[in-house]
Amino acid sequence: MEIVIPQVEREKDTFEVKINFRDLTVNKNDIELALGYTEGAIPVHFEEMVDDVLSQLPSHCEIQAGYRLLDVNKSDDRNDGLFVGDKFFKLHKIVTSQLRKSEKAALFISTIGPAMETWAKTLSTEGDIALSYLVDIVASVTEEQTTDVLQDHIEKQMQMRGLKITNRYSPGYCDWSVSEQHLLFSFFPVNFCGIVLTDSALMVPIKSVSGIIGVGTEVKKVNYTCDTCGMKDCTYRAYRRGKTKRTN
Amino acid sequence: MDELVVRISHCVENGKINKASPYPNAMKGMEGADELTKQALDAAIGPDAILQACNDGMQRIGERFSRNEVFVPELLMAAKAMHAVMAHLEPFFKSGTVKVKGKFVLGTVAGDLHDIGKNLVRMVVEGNGWEVIDLGVDVKSTKFLDAIKNTPGCIVGLSALLTTTMVNMSKTVQEIKIQFPATKVIVGGAPLTMDAALKMGADGYSHDPQGAVTFLDKISAA
Repeated sequence: MEIVIPQVEREKDTFEVKINFRDLTVNKNDIELALGYTEGAIPVHFEEMVDDVLSQLPSHCEIQAGYRLLDVNKSDDRNDGLFVGDKFFKLHKIVTSQLRKSEKAALFISTIGPAMETWAKTLSTEGDIALSYLVDIVASVTEEQTTDVLQDHIEKQMQMRGLKITNRYSPGYCDWSVSEQHLLFSFFPVNFCGIVLTDSALMVPIKSVSGIIGVGTEVKKVNYTCDTCGMKDCTYRAYRRGKTKRTN
Repeated sequence: MDELVVRISHCVENGKINKASPYPNAMKGMEGADELTKQALDAAIGPDAILQACNDGMQRIGERFSRNEVFVPELLMAAKAMHAVMAHLEPFFKSGTVKVKGKFVLGTVAGDLHDIGKNLVRMVVEGNGWEVIDLGVDVKSTKFLDAIKNTPGCIVGLSALLTTTMVNMSKTVQEIKIQFPATKVIVGGAPLTMDAALKMGADGYSHDPQGAVTFLDKISAA
């Protein structure tokens, strides 16, 4: 049965999406791949530790997510980004080209809350560095999957309007400056989804994702262009690699 | 080489902390780095030989890591086993019997909260006989400059994971070189290459913790 996730319009075109932990399917294979192992090659000891972390994951997640729909204004004389609402986002040409045909943009944020990072920090302080690392990786994979669910939700909402969506892109990746988080967050109410920014544009809680999705009649999702990026050890690349393997 | 020293090195490489530790599966129930180090010291084996065993074990696991034969969890277990050895050697460092090789100021640059790589470098560098001053994550240039001022003769390590924070890394390297031109700087992190490191004015680059140790030892020997 298809999952229908409720959303609440908090302000005009700004929606809170009520994602529940049950809506996620955190897959152990994704975690193994994010750790670097090929499927089934994780040592038994670490596999047991991952199982233990996964069993405690639901009680350590406080998921919040939301998005805002804005008009995209095209500027013919600029190819280094695009205007969303009245503000210009400076984007890498790869991202700009994917979003160019968008009529609207969904700016989104999501988080699994602070409990996993607090747990990882406590373990690290106590000297259990390997378990701390595994908690951190499980948290990262869970947060990516939360964002997958949010993206799917946005896609369904847009389909109801006869619109399609692009892939999602986040500041800090694909050569999009992390400093543009301030610009992105300026479109949301203060403390929206319980996420705040530090001076250096990092999100708190740490296990949060923000970004942009293009929306329109002429846009489409494409294969991620990770191969053109120099960030070989990117968590997102490992996560995408896991997803591709699982869906193939 | 003494058999105990060889076994300590093997425990470090394989992350066998102590007898009670269930990791790795193949060494379950065996004595680990903790018990063997105590036995070695009781047998009047010098702390330098034990420290060298640690270094050798860490070097081997570091090389396997570089070849993608093992991953971060194995490296962390090795670092933990190494720490079990270091706990026994601590008094020798304090008394001066074993001298620290030097001081290493380390941090993840401003705009980046990733600390796994930095922490790995810290543990491996400490295990190789260096004192590490860990400034944490999201560290602004001014904090690095203050630490250098307060730690004469130190070497500096900068870490970053995000491609976009390489700009901050470059700025930090340049500010260090303006104010402390003699201070050696090594950079590391997923988005970096030797070419990028040299362009930003760093003296060295490493893609793994063992490379950082090699760099530090080379500077210290010069």
